[in-house]
Formats: sequence, structure tokens, C-alpha cells
Amino acid sequence: MTVFSIHAFDPPGDVPALRQQVRTLVATHEGAWDPVRRTNCWATGDRAFSRALGEAGLLGMIWPKRYGGHERHPLERYVVLEELLAAGAPVGGHWIADRQTGPHILKLGTEAQKEKYVPAIARGELWACIGLSEPNAGSDLASVRTQARQTDKGWVLNGQKIWTSGAHEAGLMLALVRTQEGSQRHAGLSQFLIDMDTPGVIVRPIIDMAGNHDFNEVFFEDALIPHGALIGEEGAGWKQATAELALERSGPERYLSSYLLLVALIDAVGEDPDPQVTALIGRLTAELWTLRQMSMSVAAKLAAGDDPMVEASVVKDLGNSFEQDLPKLVQAALPADFNLADGSKLARVLRHLLIASHSFSLRGGTREIIRGIIARGLGLR
Amino acid sequence: MSENRTLLLDSAAALFDDLAGLEIAAAWPRFDAAGLATLLVPEDAGGFGGDWGDFFAVLRLAGENTLSLPIGETILATRLLVDAGLDVPTGPLSIATSLDAVPFGRHAAGIVVADGTRLTLYRAASVTAAAASGDPLDAVTGDVMASAPSTACTMHLGAFLRVAQSAGALDKALRMAMDYTGQRMQFGKTLSQQQAVQQSLAILAVETAAIDVAGQGAAAALDRGEAAFEIAAAKLRTNMAIGTGTSIAHQVHGAIGFTHEYDLHRYTRRLMGWRSEFGNDRHWAERTGAFALKAGGAGLWGALTARTDKAA
Repeated sequence: MTVFSIHAFDPPGDVPALRQQVRTLVATHEGAWDPVRRTNCWATGDRAFSRALGEAGLLGMIWPKRYGGHERHPLERYVVLEELLAAGAPVGGHWIADRQTGPHILKLGTEAQKEKYVPAIARGELWACIGLSEPNAGSDLASVRTQARQTDKGWVLNGQKIWTSGAHEAGLMLALVRTQEGSQRHAGLSQFLIDMDTPGVIVRPIIDMAGNHDFNEVFFEDALIPHGALIGEEGAGWKQATAELALERSGPERYLSSYLLLVALIDAVGEDPDPQVTALIGRLTAELWTLRQMSMSVAAKLAAGDDPMVEASVVKDLGNSFEQDLPKLVQAALPADFNLADGSKLARVLRHLLIASHSFSLRGGTREIIRGIIARGLGLR
Repeated sequence: MSENRTLLLDSAAALFDDLAGLEIAAAWPRFDAAGLATLLVPEDAGGFGGDWGDFFAVLRLAGENTLSLPIGETILATRLLVDAGLDVPTGPLSIATSLDAVPFGRHAAGIVVADGTRLTLYRAASVTAAAASGDPLDAVTGDVMASAPSTACTMHLGAFLRVAQSAGALDKALRMAMDYTGQRMQFGKTLSQQQAVQQSLAILAVETAAIDVAGQGAAAALDRGEAAFEIAAAKLRTNMAIGTGTSIAHQVHGAIGFTHEYDLHRYTRRLMGWRSEFGNDRHWAERTGAFALKAGGAGLWGALTARTDKAA
């Protein structure tokens, strides 16, 4: 029995030309991008670049044309994503909308919901956030207390979400909310599409230890949203929210967050560095290559209609460890007189990632939760 | 998996069962009769006509078994000799990078050494058996039987062979760890119900997956043509996984896994040996490092993607 069987990654069309299209687009915009903010770049938004991607047909790539999509192959989209991440393009603004929210609406939404939201996402104009985590819930996402009560005018929301990435820049939240009073755990939950400019929706920043504003608290204080804001089936929210998690666990964003530090290291040390540094670059390159094969293989399985939950979790576990260990390994192997405080690109990027990388094994499911999923896949629990 | 490969693996599994527990003198005639030695020889040259993916799958399966036979070495030596237009000696064969360390040297009817420009076939004249961590690894003195120009490199192909075997052997160690911890009761529940043990086993599974992916990725590159970088990366990643994986397999077994009687060491001893053979971490890290340095920081991504993209 094979633990991880490779599935051939074989996108249609002219793949090198598609890569070149992305590289050219990046080259015309990158002058304005700060090297530090280019690391972990799917946590950084840029309105102009999101719109440029939309104009170039590189958002909503696999969606129907009638909703602003481009009906490309999922593996063509994968090629575009890995190119953007490897280039350190600021894709964080639209990332969630393009990866999850748009597909979710297309799958479960009403015609009105599709027409209202999907074309705007594909243009790169509407960004979205995910309203899952709540105070004191931690990894136990089912302990949702935010409530929606149905009235004649619509649903009235009360409660609080937390750790909501990008809520301050998003126009839309896909939220998991308790609709059946007194229900417990996974039962009685429903999903809503909430316009962030709704009165009674209040966003407060949480500044992270890297000094960035990514997280937020989102409060609902008698926020009235229309009847038509419910997406999917009332009471089926948990099942809807946890379906297709493989989509968000195996993508190239799970191993490339520190990639630009490897690039900076190679550029800084020249062609013939100390053998220890060469060996570290070699080790990191071998790990990168292995992870890329893994992630592409899961993408190919997803494109073929499988749901490789365990293999996706393997990518996330290994990928997060790689991108998290990379800054520490580089720090340990640099020459003794390397000055972490100097203004060089290498020092700045390293300093930032030494701090930012602590979040890599938290977001999208903690390391412990992911390993629990793998253990379940092995039949241990 | 292709239908052909499924059939191939079924017959290889039956053969490996048949050979289990036999000494090499008794096992080899049966191996010869099965025709597996010609796995990589093209059909028009009278062979099985398998590809590198087939080779990976068969040798992975061999790694799951405790057979101490030069199966992969013989398959590779046969292919290289046929490619070079040389006669293939009868009996077990080996491949090596130098005669100082020849896998199964004491049993080999012929030893192939190829450095990318020239292939030489040796017959062992005298053998100094080394204390092996797993399978025999011997220093030999040899006479040249034949030689020919060849682009093959036994360092690379030997490394790929060890990756395939390691994938199977670490997978077997994982299965043994799951079985053992699933049965052994401690503190009122099975070890495998302890979260700490589950987390360790998850890491072992992830490392096993890494070898599988690296090996299949290298096989795909070999089937496309030149695979020097992919084999270097795969062997290095495999060596890393062996280090982490064997530790966990032993840790969750406790003392029983350290006994001679229990089978775990049949896999982990060989894994520890394979970790050095055909290139340790340092050897391959220098190669993959040189690949990245040559590409340069800005060029590395393009160098990687160009190796998997089909030409338009």
C-alpha cells in the first residue's frame, strides 16, 4: 500500500505561455512592492493588483463565463497561483474570495446571490472574509454562539467572530451562525452572506506580533440582513462549512510563504558560498521540490473529482513545517558576522519571517488538528 | 496505476513471497526463472519493457519485504549492460560507484560501475566482507570483464534504487508501528489511542509520504529523460525521512522493537545503511545546492517549473 500515490499533473494548453503571462504582469507591477511585504504574500492585499488580475482573466478562472469567470481548467489556475506566490505578489486581498467564497456561492447560492457577488469577485473588486472562529472556541469551531433570529424583515444577528483575517478590507463575510435556538454543537448552524457595510456589523483590529493588521474582531449588534442572505440549507451550515477543506489545505500557499527568503539567501551569498550554506540551500531546494510534487499531485486529484483529505493534510503539515523552519535554518547557517540589523534585503526579509512564521502552523487548522486528521486517516481514531 | 503495472506488482508480490526466507543460492534460480531481471530491458531486446515508474513500484514492494537479495542491483545492471551492448553474466549482479563498497559484492557474478562517460563490468577477485548495517556491503578487488562508453551513472541509479526500497521499508515500519500500538494496552487503552502516540505516528506517515512522492517524482523525471536533479533531491529528502521515521518507529515500539527477535530491525537496520549508500545527505545537498546556486535566486523558480512543464 502506498501512503501517497502521485497523480500526474497535466494541465491543458500552453503552460509555459501561461507562466509567462503571470511573470510579465508581475514585472509591470512589482516596482511598487516592498520586499518584506512580498513574503507571506497571501496575507497582503493590493487593490490595484487584484483588479489587474481580474482584467487579465486570472481571477475566477474556473468559473462559468456568465458569472464573470473564464472556464479554464483547475490546473491552469494552480499554475497561476504558484507563479503569483513564488513571485511574492500581493494576492491576500482577493485570496479567500477567489479560493473559497466564490466557489461556495456558485455551488450553493441562489441565482440572485451568484449575480450579486460572483462577477465582482472575478473582477478583483470584492474581497471576502471567513466568519468561523469565535472567542474562546480555539480549534473547536463548532462551539458557535453567534445567533441569527428570523423576523419579518430578515435575519437579526448578534454575537462576535474573532481572528477574522482581512475583515477590515472585505466587502463580504461568509459566516457560520447558530439559527436554531438552544441547538448544540454541529446541529442548528447555518451559513450567511453578510455585506460588511451592514449597520450593526462592527470591525475592530487586532495587531499581530509582526506589527501587521490582518486579524480582526467582528461584532454583530442587532445587524439586520435580508432573508436572501442565507446560503444553502438552513441547519446544514456545519456540513457546508467543512466540505472541501482539502481545497484550502493543499494549495501552494501552504509551503511557499517563506520562499522569497530562500531567493534572497541565494542572491546574497553569490555563486560559491561556504559549503555549509550551499548544503542548506540544497536541503531547502530538495524539500521545496518534494512539496511541490505533493501539492501538484493533490491539485490533480482534486481536479479529477477526488477529495484527498488525508493527502491534503500531509501537504499542509509538511509544508507549514518547511516554511516555518526555513527562517530559523537560514538564521543558524549564515556567517557569524551576518548583521541581522542591517538594511539588506536578506536581513529585512529574515527578520520579518522569523516573527511572522509563527502563524504558519496555526492558520487553516493547527498542526495538532492536522496531525489528528492524518491519524484518523490512518485508522487510529 | 496502469493495468500492466498492477499485473506486474501481483506477480512480483507472488515471487517475493516465494523467495521469503531462502538463502541466495536457493533463491536466485527462482528469481532468474521469473524473468524480473529484464524489467527495464526494452521489449524488442527481449525484455519486459517496463518504465521507471514500474521499477519504483517493484523495488518499493521489495523494500516492504525482508528479502536480502540484490534484486534492484541486478535489474539495473542488466539494463545498463544491454544498453551498452555488452553480454550479461548469469547470476546475481551488482552496481557500485567504486569497488570499495559493493552491495552484495560477495554474491555478485558481475559488478557494474558507470560514471556518466564509461561503463565497466568487473568480476570480483577477492572480497573483504564489511560489517553491514543491513544488507551486505563489501570491498572487492576485481578484474575487468568488459567496458564500453555509456552515459549511465551508477551513483544516480543506485540512489534512485535506495529511494524506492526505502519507501517500502519505511511504509512497512509504519504499518508495524500502527499494528503494535493498536494492540498494546497501557493505562487502560491502546497506545494508538494516546494522542501523543497518534501525533508521532502522523509524522511517521508524513515522512513516509515524502519518500513516496520524491521517488515517484524522480521516476517521472527518469521517464521524461534526464533526472540528475530530481534523483539528487529525492535521495536527500529520503535520507531526511529515514532519520526522522526510523526514530519514531522505534520510539513507539519501546523495548520490544530493539530486540533481535522482533522484525522491525530487519527494516530499520537496512534503512540506516541505505541512508549512506549512493550518497549521504551532504553529498546530495552539495548537488541540489549547486543546482539552485547556478539558477540564482530569481531563476530558481523558473528552473524548477521548466523541469516539469511539457514543452508547448
